[in-house]
Amino acid sequence: MKDIFTVMKFTAKDMVKRKSFIISTIIILVLIVIGFNVPNIMKSLNGESSGESKLLIIDEQNIFEGSLELLKQSDLGYEIEISNSSFDEIKQKIENGDVDSAIIIEKQENDIKIRYIVEDMTMMEGVPENLINTINGLYSNMQISKLGLTEAELQSITPNFEFSLEQTKEEKANGNIFAMMLMSIVLFYAIYFCAYQVSSSITTEKTSKIMETLVTSTKPRTIVLGKTIGIGIVGLVQMIIIVGTALISAKCFLDEELINAVLDISNITWYLGIITIIYFVLGYFTYSLLYALTGSTVSKPEDIQSANTPVAILAVIGFYLSYFTMMNPTSDLNLFAAIFPISSPFCMPFRIMMGLATGTEVAISIAVLIVTILIIAKVAIKIYSSAILNYGTKMSFRDIVNMYKDK
Amino acid sequence: MSLILKNVSKTFVGKQAVDNISLSLEKPGVFGLLGTNGAGKTTTIRMLLGIITKDSGEITWNGKQVDRKSVNFGYLPEERGVYPKTKIFDQLMYFAELKGMKKQEAEQSINKWAKELKVEEYLNMPAEKLSKGNQQKIQFMTAIIHNPELVVLDEPFSGLDPVNTEILKNIIINLIKNGKYIIMSAHQMATIEEFCSDILILNKGKTVLQGNLKEIKETYPANRVEIDVNQDITKYIEEFNLEIENVTNNNYVIKITDEEKAHNLLNKLVSNDIRVDKFEIKKPTLNDIFIEKVGE
Repeated sequence: MKDIFTVMKFTAKDMVKRKSFIISTIIILVLIVIGFNVPNIMKSLNGESSGESKLLIIDEQNIFEGSLELLKQSDLGYEIEISNSSFDEIKQKIENGDVDSAIIIEKQENDIKIRYIVEDMTMMEGVPENLINTINGLYSNMQISKLGLTEAELQSITPNFEFSLEQTKEEKANGNIFAMMLMSIVLFYAIYFCAYQVSSSITTEKTSKIMETLVTSTKPRTIVLGKTIGIGIVGLVQMIIIVGTALISAKCFLDEELINAVLDISNITWYLGIITIIYFVLGYFTYSLLYALTGSTVSKPEDIQSANTPVAILAVIGFYLSYFTMMNPTSDLNLFAAIFPISSPFCMPFRIMMGLATGTEVAISIAVLIVTILIIAKVAIKIYSSAILNYGTKMSFRDIVNMYKDK
Repeated sequence: MSLILKNVSKTFVGKQAVDNISLSLEKPGVFGLLGTNGAGKTTTIRMLLGIITKDSGEITWNGKQVDRKSVNFGYLPEERGVYPKTKIFDQLMYFAELKGMKKQEAEQSINKWAKELKVEEYLNMPAEKLSKGNQQKIQFMTAIIHNPELVVLDEPFSGLDPVNTEILKNIIINLIKNGKYIIMSAHQMATIEEFCSDILILNKGKTVLQGNLKEIKETYPANRVEIDVNQDITKYIEEFNLEIENVTNNNYVIKITDEEKAHNLLNKLVSNDIRVDKFEIKKPTLNDIFIEKVGE
């Protein structure tokens, strides 16, 4: 146990001291902070203030009979100014940045024409929907009030429908599926790249020929476990720092409405946090032990890529199984992905987040994953013990099987 | 204390790597393990260090079955290796801790051996900045830092310059004086002859020669005579039907089958007033014995 701790401490210390690790972590954190500031950066590039945008309304023919003043009290998200400026004056005001946009209301024969003027319409899909609805409503109310209707009559012609979305299936998924998919990708990369470090670390020890000294100093099992735990702890701390930075950046730099639109904060609980860490740890162990096995079978750095390919394929299959079934989270295939050991670490936390996973499903999924890890650990440690002292060319699958039988 | 290997064998996927070898090391000193490449030396060393398991036989240290934890071993492998990016002090401390040393004790030992091996100035450097010879000295430190009872040295002098070879030789002599048991594998026979009292020669996994080096050499008849003279003596050598192995500046090394002919040649030279500065009948070297035993 003491030796596992010694190997773990050395591996973790060695990893965090590496320039490549420090630089890549700093770059990721800087990109996260920049990423969450993109809306603010875009605003400042577009010359927009962080407050409401200014809208100028021109109703020279008084078609709205002064009722446009009511818009100033509405919650449209615009600072409204009503005037009788000419088109040239409006153009000047927009180009000077005095106002952001303008609306010109004109009567043409029997129609009313409303022109929405902006400086550049390239990035716009059309006139903002909320403006159209508000102006339509204002005009209808103005005309209805002229009819002299009673309050009851007015209510009877005003639609008061309550729309709701319902489903026939009993299971119901909460939260934004796309946000879950994004987080599934983050978890996949965190697990995959941490696990890959184990393979790279073992091959480095083989290529630097330190392995022989190492295996005479402690047991191969101790080396594999110490190394795996050491890299895992560094990876977990790195993931917590990255996710923490993302959450703090979201809180500091994004509008609360935007966050709520993407993520249902009420779904993020301590239970979910602990379960996600458990799945990160178990997923990491599954893949890192497989990588320990493949890493021990090569002697040259250029062979790592090809030796690791089978594990990479397995990880990608697991990830896509989880990713695509998430589009239909109430399907049986998604439940299978949440229990199948190569995909469950990327799937189950999000089933829980969507409120779909039962306690029994979580228990079965964790049990299956633990049994898988124990089997992989047994095979990986046995092959690692023999393969690490093999300094020839990259071992074939047949060599590995023979080595397993031979030991 | 004694190390005993009794009828030890190991097979890898149908290939007999070590076949029924036995050896014993019963007093402090250096035991020479010799053999061509692939003869089974490294497999034997790995088995006695407990890195790989033996198929059959017995390996005991002080009467107890050997395993990595029960015996305080030190090992300098043939494959030299260090962590290239890690500071020398940190890697030495890592191995010292793995070998059960406490931090303070390890620190003292690192400083002591760094001073003896003249590598003190490199302790805070990453290994990749050191020359190969200095990296080798660091690895030698890894093998002895924990004061092991048994030290296995695989090619300890290969790649070292004469100055560093001398430093290492003196340290090995001191280890023997301090009662250490050493197993040395080397391809330079002169090194083995210098240090080893007992040897074992392996060929294709089998023992082909074993015993006390001095006694082994006694059993071999003389096979050369070295003569240092002041003129060309080729015609006298040919007269006795002898074969010249080497000649440099009137220094002749001549092959002989019996010592009598060598003495007759000497008498002939003296009777012809030739000045003989050196006349030495030589036993075969370990190199000769090795080639005779394992040469195809």
